[in-house]
Amino acid sequence: MIAFTDIVGMDLAKQALMLLAVDPELCGVVIPSAVGSGKSTLARAFAGILPEETPFVELPLNVTEDRLIGGVDLEATLATGVRVVQHGVLTKAHEGVLYVDSLSLLDSSAVSHIMDAMSRGEVLVEREGLSEVHPAKFMLVGTYDPTDGEVRMGLVDRIGMIVPFTAQNDFRARKKIIDTVLGKRNSEDTEDELRMLAGLIMAAKEQLPHVSITKEQMQALVQTALSLGVEGNRADIFCIRAAIASAALAQRSDVEEEDMKLAIKLVLIPRATRMPEREAEAEEMPPQEEPPAEEEPEAEDENAEADTPDAEAEEEQKDTPDMIEELMMDAVEMELPDNILNISLASKKKSKSGSRGEALNNRRGRFVRAQPGEMRSGKVALIPTLISAAPWQESRRQESLKKGIKKRNALIISKDDVKIKRFRDKSGTLFIFMVDASGSMALNRMRQAKGAVASLLQNAYVHRDQVALISFRGKQAQVLLPPSQSVDRAKRELDVLPTGGGTPLASALFLGWETAKQARTKGVSQIMFVLITDGRGNIGLQAAYDPNAEKAPKEQLEQEIEALSRSIQSDGVAAIVIDTQMNYLSRGEAPKLAQNLGGRYFYLPNAKAEQIVDAALSF
Amino acid sequence: MSQTESVAKKSAAKKTVAKKTVPAKEKAEKTVKAAAPEAAKPVKAPSSSKKKSGQAFPFTAIVGQEEMKLSLILNIIDPRVGGVLVMGHRGTGKSTTVRALAEVLPLIDRVAGDTYNRTVDQFLEMENDRKGAGKIDPATIKLEKIPVPVVDLPLGATEDRVCGTIDIEQALTSGVKAFEPGLLAQANRGFLYIDEVNLLDDHLVDVLLDVAASGKNVVEREGISIRHPARFVLVGSGNPEEGELRPQLLDRFGLHARIVTILDVAKRVEIVKRRREFDEDPDAFMKKYHRDQLKLQKKIEQAKAILSEVTMDDKVLTDIAKLCMNLGIDGHRGELTITRTAYAHAAFLGEKVVTMKHVKDIAGLCLRHRLRKDPLETLDAGEKIERELAKVLGEAEAV
Repeated sequence: MIAFTDIVGMDLAKQALMLLAVDPELCGVVIPSAVGSGKSTLARAFAGILPEETPFVELPLNVTEDRLIGGVDLEATLATGVRVVQHGVLTKAHEGVLYVDSLSLLDSSAVSHIMDAMSRGEVLVEREGLSEVHPAKFMLVGTYDPTDGEVRMGLVDRIGMIVPFTAQNDFRARKKIIDTVLGKRNSEDTEDELRMLAGLIMAAKEQLPHVSITKEQMQALVQTALSLGVEGNRADIFCIRAAIASAALAQRSDVEEEDMKLAIKLVLIPRATRMPEREAEAEEMPPQEEPPAEEEPEAEDENAEADTPDAEAEEEQKDTPDMIEELMMDAVEMELPDNILNISLASKKKSKSGSRGEALNNRRGRFVRAQPGEMRSGKVALIPTLISAAPWQESRRQESLKKGIKKRNALIISKDDVKIKRFRDKSGTLFIFMVDASGSMALNRMRQAKGAVASLLQNAYVHRDQVALISFRGKQAQVLLPPSQSVDRAKRELDVLPTGGGTPLASALFLGWETAKQARTKGVSQIMFVLITDGRGNIGLQAAYDPNAEKAPKEQLEQEIEALSRSIQSDGVAAIVIDTQMNYLSRGEAPKLAQNLGGRYFYLPNAKAEQIVDAALSF
Repeated sequence: MSQTESVAKKSAAKKTVAKKTVPAKEKAEKTVKAAAPEAAKPVKAPSSSKKKSGQAFPFTAIVGQEEMKLSLILNIIDPRVGGVLVMGHRGTGKSTTVRALAEVLPLIDRVAGDTYNRTVDQFLEMENDRKGAGKIDPATIKLEKIPVPVVDLPLGATEDRVCGTIDIEQALTSGVKAFEPGLLAQANRGFLYIDEVNLLDDHLVDVLLDVAASGKNVVEREGISIRHPARFVLVGSGNPEEGELRPQLLDRFGLHARIVTILDVAKRVEIVKRRREFDEDPDAFMKKYHRDQLKLQKKIEQAKAILSEVTMDDKVLTDIAKLCMNLGIDGHRGELTITRTAYAHAAFLGEKVVTMKHVKDIAGLCLRHRLRKDPLETLDAGEKIERELAKVLGEAEAV
C-alpha cells in the first residue's frame, strides 16, 4: 500500500483531499485523470490520513439498486420470520468515504441514487415493503478517465471540489513515482510524514470553527462564480467552505488571498461555463499596477469611498470586494489560459460558445431491477420472486389444505409473485447526426438537420431515443450536441451553427464512432448514423489533429473513409446517408459511402425535416 | 388555540411519530378482515420512520425564486390547482424549497389514527361500502388534527411501496394477509413530492398517472382488495437537461414553475450567509424565522378561509378563454387551471374579486408547459404568453 505522502505529483488533488479531510461538508473530490496516473492509488491512500475508524467503502461499478440503497435480507428474513433489513453501500459509507473508480462509467440509476443521498444526507428506502430512512452522509471521492465520457453534471455539482485535469507528463515526477512504487523510499520516513499530516489535519479541524471570512471576500468569490457562469448556489457555498478549510490548514483565523485562489481553482474554475469577461481591461496595463477604483466598471460597489488617497490604497484594496475580485480574476486568468481547454467538465466547445453546464441524460444502463411481469416476457428474477412469494406460503398452504391438496414441502408460487429482470436495455436508439457544414449549401443542410433532430426528440420519449449531432467543416468534426434527450438542450446547443470551409468527412466518421463507443459503455445498444452529406470529403484525418499536415492525396482520403466506414459497419452501427443537394454532377460518392457503411442511401433534394426523420426511422 | 401553540404542538406531534413501532401483539390483530383499513385500531404507519434526521431550511428564509414559492403556496390554498412542476438549474434550491413547505402548511382534520388521512366522508364512503360491515355512526368517529402531509417519493421506490402491499412480517409469522398502506395512502390530502421527476421509472409514472386521474388507488392481490382515496398535490422537480418529462405526466401538473440561477451578487451572498448560519446552528436559525413562518402560515390559512367568497367576473373568464385560444392550447385544462389559480392568488392577496391583474401574474405558470413545443421557436414560452396576454388586455381596454 502506498501512503499518501509517498505520492508524487498531483499536488492539487492532494490539496483537495486534505481540504476534504478538514471539512467533510465539502462533500467530496472528483479527480479526472488519464489511465495510469495513479489517481486511484491516491484516492485509496486518502483513507490513510483519515481518523482510524472512518469507513472507506469502494463502490463496485455493477452495483445493483438494492445493494446500493439497501433492502430486505431474504436469507435472514426467511430464517427468523422477521423482516431483516440489509443496509446499502451508501449507508455503509456514512460518516466516511465512498470511493468510486471510473465515475463516468457508473450507470445512470446509480448516479441518481447517489445524488439523492448526497442532497439528503440519508437514503430513503421504499422498497419491498420496507419503508425506512438510513443515514448516508458521506464524502464522495471519485476518479475517472475523461476519455471514458462525462460524469453527469448533477452529480458533479453536489461534489465540492474538482481537480483540474492534467496529464501526468513531467518526466522527473514520473521517475519519482516509479521509485516509490519500487519501494526505494524509507518506510520510517513515510510513517513520520503520515503522522505529521494526520496531526496537521486534526489541528486544522479544531481551527475550522475559528476561521472567519469577511463579507467582501464572500462577495468577491460569488462575483467570480458569476463571471465564470457557474450554475446554481452550491458552488458558492462550497467555494467559501474550501477557502475556510484552506485557512484552517494553515492555522490561520482569517481567510487570505491564497485560500481564495485555491478555492477558486478547485471549486469554481472546473464549473466554469464561460470565459470571464473583464470589460475595460486595457491590455497594456498589467493588472498588478493597482487599478484605481474610478476605473472599475462594476456598478455594485457599495463602498462610497472610491477616491481614497494613494497612501491608503493598499489598505482599501483588501476591503472593497471589487479589489479582491480583481485579484481573484487575476488568479482565474492565470489558471485559465493553460487549463480551460483541459478542464474536463467544461468541455472545449462550451468554453468557446458560452453555453451552460453539461448533463448526461437518463441513459439506460446495465442495471437490473426486478419488476412484476409474466414468466414468458423476460428472464425470471429468482430471488425477488422468492421474496414476494415467501410471505404467502403459510396462507397458501392453509388454502390448499382446505381444498384437500397437500403441498407440505413445496414452495407455492403464484403468477402474481413472478418478477422478471429488467435489463434497462429499453434504451432506444441513439441517432448520431453527422452534418456536412462545409460549402455553400451548409446552411440549408444544417437547418434540415436541426429540424430533424427536433422532430426526433419530440417523439423520442416513447422509445427513449437519443440524439447527438456532429457537424463537420474546416479541419475537423465537432460534437455540437452530445447524446441527449432534451429538447431544451438541443435547442440551445444548436442555436449557433458555424458553416463553411473544407469537408473533413473522415474526422466526422471517427468522432461519430467514438461517440458510439462511449454510448455503448452506458448501455445504449442501438446506434444509427444519419449522415447528411454529399459524401465528398476533402480533408484527411491527419489534418484534423495536425495543423501542419500536408494535404492528403485523393486516394488516401478515399481509403481512409472506406476503411473507417467498414470498421464502423462491422462494429454493428447502422447508418443512412442522406444527400439533400441538387446534384447535377453526381459522382456517386454518397451512395458509395452508404454502401461501405452497410447502410442505405437516400436522395432527398431539399428534404424536409420530416422526410429525414422518416428515412431514419424506416431503417 | 393560539398560533404559537398550534405550531408547537405540530412539531411535537411530528417528533412523537418518529420511529414508532407497534408491538407485535397489536399487529397480529390485523386479520384478513382487518386487512381493509380499520381506522380505530392503531396501524403501523409507514411514515413512522420518515422522521427527518435534520431540520428543514425555513421556507421564509429562502432568497428569491418567487415563482416557485408562489406556485407552492397557491397549491396549499387550493389543492385543485393541480400541483406544480419545478424545473430549472441544478443547485438553485428546488428540493430545499419543497421540503421547507411542510413547516408552513396548515392543519387538517382526519379520522383519528387513520393511515389514509381520510375525512369523515371519505371514511364513511369506504367503510360503509365494505361487505358485511354495518353502518358506522358518524358521531362515533373521532377526529384529530394533523399537518398537511408531505410525502417524498424517492426514485428507487418499488411499486409495492408506492401502492401498498401486504405486511410481510405478519404474513411470514402468522400467515395473515394484512394490507400495509403505501406512499399513495400517506399522501392522501397532502403533497406527493418527486425529486428528479424526469428520471422516474416509466413503470411508476404509469401508476401515478392512473391514480392521479381517478383519485383512487386500487390494489388487488390474492384475496386482498383495497381501494382507498389517494388525492394529492403532485409536486415534481428536476433539471430539464437530464431528460424530458413524459408528455402525459407533464400535462398532469397544474403549474410549471421555472427556476434559474440568481445573477445578483448581493442575493447570492445572502443565500450563502443564510445557509452557513443554518448549518452552524439550525435551532437558532429556525427561531430567527419563526415569526415570518407563522405569519406566512396565517396568511395561507386566511386565504383558504376566504377562497369560497372570491368571485370572478364573466368578462375575466372570457378573456382567459381568449388567451388560451390565441395561444392554441388544446383542451380545457388551461382555462380551468388559470381560473382556479387566479382565485387562489386573489385569496392569497386577501382580495375577493379576481381581476385580470391576478390572471396576468399567474398565466405564465399555468400555460408555459401547455404550449406546443417547437425547438426551432426562438421566442421563450413565457414571452409568448406575455405577448398574447398583452393583446387580450389591450382588447379589454379598447372595448
